[in-house]
Amino acid sequence: MTGIVTTDPIVSRAPPPRHALALASAIGAIACGALLAATIQSSLMMTLVTQAIITAILATGVGFLIRQNGVVSFGHAAFYGIACYTIALALKLGVMRVEFAILLALALPTALAFLLGLVIIRIPGVAFSMLTLAVGQAFYEFAMKARHVTGGEDGFSVSLPPAILGIPTAWFQNPHSMFVVSWSVLVLIIFGLALIAASPFGRLTVAIRENEERARFIGYRTTLPRVLVLTLSAFVTAIAGVLFTLYNTFVSPDVLHWTLSGSALIMAIIGGPRLIWGPALGAIIFFFTKDIAGDVTEHWQGIIGVILIVVMLVIPSGLGGTLAALWQRRFGHG
Amino acid sequence: MRRSHLLAFGLLGSAAALVAPAGPATAQETLKIGVPTALTGTYAGLGAEAVRAIEFAVAEANAKGGVAGHKVEIKTLDTEAKPEVARKQAEKLALEGYKILTGTIASGEGLAMGPLLARWDAIYVSTINKSDKLTGDSCVPRMFRTNHQDAQDAAVVRPWLGSRKEGKWAILAADIAWGRDSGKSFVEAAKVNKKDIVAEIYSPFGSNDYAPFIQQIKSSGAEGLWVALAGRDAINFATQAKEFGLLDKVFVAGVSFVTDNNVKTLGATSKGIWGIINYSSTLDTPANKAFVEAWKTKYNGDEPASFEGETYLGMQVIFQAVEKAKSVKPVDVAKAMRGGTFDTVLGKVTLRAEDHQMVLPNYFGYIGERGGKLRPIITETIPANVATTPPTGTCKMGEL
Repeated sequence: MTGIVTTDPIVSRAPPPRHALALASAIGAIACGALLAATIQSSLMMTLVTQAIITAILATGVGFLIRQNGVVSFGHAAFYGIACYTIALALKLGVMRVEFAILLALALPTALAFLLGLVIIRIPGVAFSMLTLAVGQAFYEFAMKARHVTGGEDGFSVSLPPAILGIPTAWFQNPHSMFVVSWSVLVLIIFGLALIAASPFGRLTVAIRENEERARFIGYRTTLPRVLVLTLSAFVTAIAGVLFTLYNTFVSPDVLHWTLSGSALIMAIIGGPRLIWGPALGAIIFFFTKDIAGDVTEHWQGIIGVILIVVMLVIPSGLGGTLAALWQRRFGHG
Repeated sequence: MRRSHLLAFGLLGSAAALVAPAGPATAQETLKIGVPTALTGTYAGLGAEAVRAIEFAVAEANAKGGVAGHKVEIKTLDTEAKPEVARKQAEKLALEGYKILTGTIASGEGLAMGPLLARWDAIYVSTINKSDKLTGDSCVPRMFRTNHQDAQDAAVVRPWLGSRKEGKWAILAADIAWGRDSGKSFVEAAKVNKKDIVAEIYSPFGSNDYAPFIQQIKSSGAEGLWVALAGRDAINFATQAKEFGLLDKVFVAGVSFVTDNNVKTLGATSKGIWGIINYSSTLDTPANKAFVEAWKTKYNGDEPASFEGETYLGMQVIFQAVEKAKSVKPVDVAKAMRGGTFDTVLGKVTLRAEDHQMVLPNYFGYIGERGGKLRPIITETIPANVATTPPTGTCKMGEL
């Protein structure tokens, strides 16, 4: 946070050949994912990994906001949950085809984030976090209270049609095929966000993050770029919500609760929000720690808490940041 | 020559394939029971009761050499009584091979699991979920209920409410599927008996502060109060209601409110509270007496509590279905359950094929002193054919 624009490595170097390299690694990563799905036989393992990946997309959305805007949101569950409930309610009420419901589920949270951002993005620090928390909880309370449509605390099952965009719905519910879908989406999101971060727009938002006044002084408008980052972050979160609903076919107010936003934040911090892929790594670590610790003790939150404290004290750049630093040291400057 | 070799190998191969799965492997296959239940949170107390009953039943069965030769194994995972978590944990259990699921607390959890049972090749036997939806519009071929549904509780409440002198009633229920169902049934019972409902309050699940609701009940002028709260909700409410003097002013009755566990925690506060009793250790059937004796020996003289009795009943049904099916395969067990008759602590009972609801007798009573101890005392027994109303027709049961 202390450095200025020019000291940030991402800002200072982004030569074009790297794009080709990034694209190659993205394709490679997707291929690896498909290979992994073909290798692992256990449905249990695959369903855990698939859920972890969907959570990783959510964390990536939250992390991108921290990385580009330097602000912390406690309300991303709202974007995630609205996407879930949009599909679920659209199908329950039978008002539209599932394909349109998915589009609407992506558009609504994104539009909401944009409009909301115009108002709250100017508010700094803790106040911003508190506002996101308040907005998020408002949607949670609504889902709890509107029992006749949302089923309240109990939630309700989503009945999907037999095919979505011509793809059999069973594909989205089989852990193996859904893993390939979610993994590919995650890789593409990280690739896309990396491109955006390296673009002039990405560098501008980092500059604003570091010193908004200076950026304005140079002649940039600083509000809209930050609003767009929030919008983009909400869009990524909504994608996670859509995948979650297709896979789980069940929604309850848990998907809107602030604890989900909080968990996503913890994932981002454990993984390292300064890297585009850090939060995703954090999410996978979080998910499996929770799963393994949850088998041993009911107090798995304690173990996550200890990990969080250790990461924040010892490696503030997160596990991803440490890995990246080690890689840098081992293979030099490349 | 070559072709005949090929044929021989082919025949040998298919013979092996046919013989292998039918061999001794199945005879010793373990009966794996998954228990996704509340180990933490508001319903942790209920979850502990469910787990104790299941462990008791399993130990008993294994001591006798297993169920039809199958050793029984259980695995418990915490659901926090949240539907979303229950879904995940049940999936985990089912995919690990614990495909016969039971012991779950909140109706919302059962409703969340229902649609996915076929995907997991699992079955779910409810021993505590009460919402009518489970065996109503949300029924599925792989879901069963061996405990009392709301409709059965309502059938008991109706005649009882008619005998009460209080004309104005308030309802306080948990804002979840079960509480809503119970509240709705009570409103209907009040209509039939020409009683006024002056307040209908649904408090959030897991509330700590009941003061505003207590105030609302007081100011409504209610003479009677119907409570559908369980676990920590019931205890929090009862303790605060006592402090605010509500219990002295208003006649209180409820469902899942008159349980042994609540009596233990509340002590004298609970004395004189009326309500539906779904199971009591004092029930006078030979099977129940034997069960209570065995339980007392194992748990240092403790008697089985309400949810322990109900869950034990569910385990009896599962075990007998396995014996009847001669298989631990979920589908086979489900087929044996559907329409089957079982010997339980509540006597001989039938699991209705139309909606998978157990046809059970039901009981009503109050908390009073017996044998120097406060406990639920049954004053009225309603036979199964009266307590269990016919299927409403909302359940369209599919094929297994």
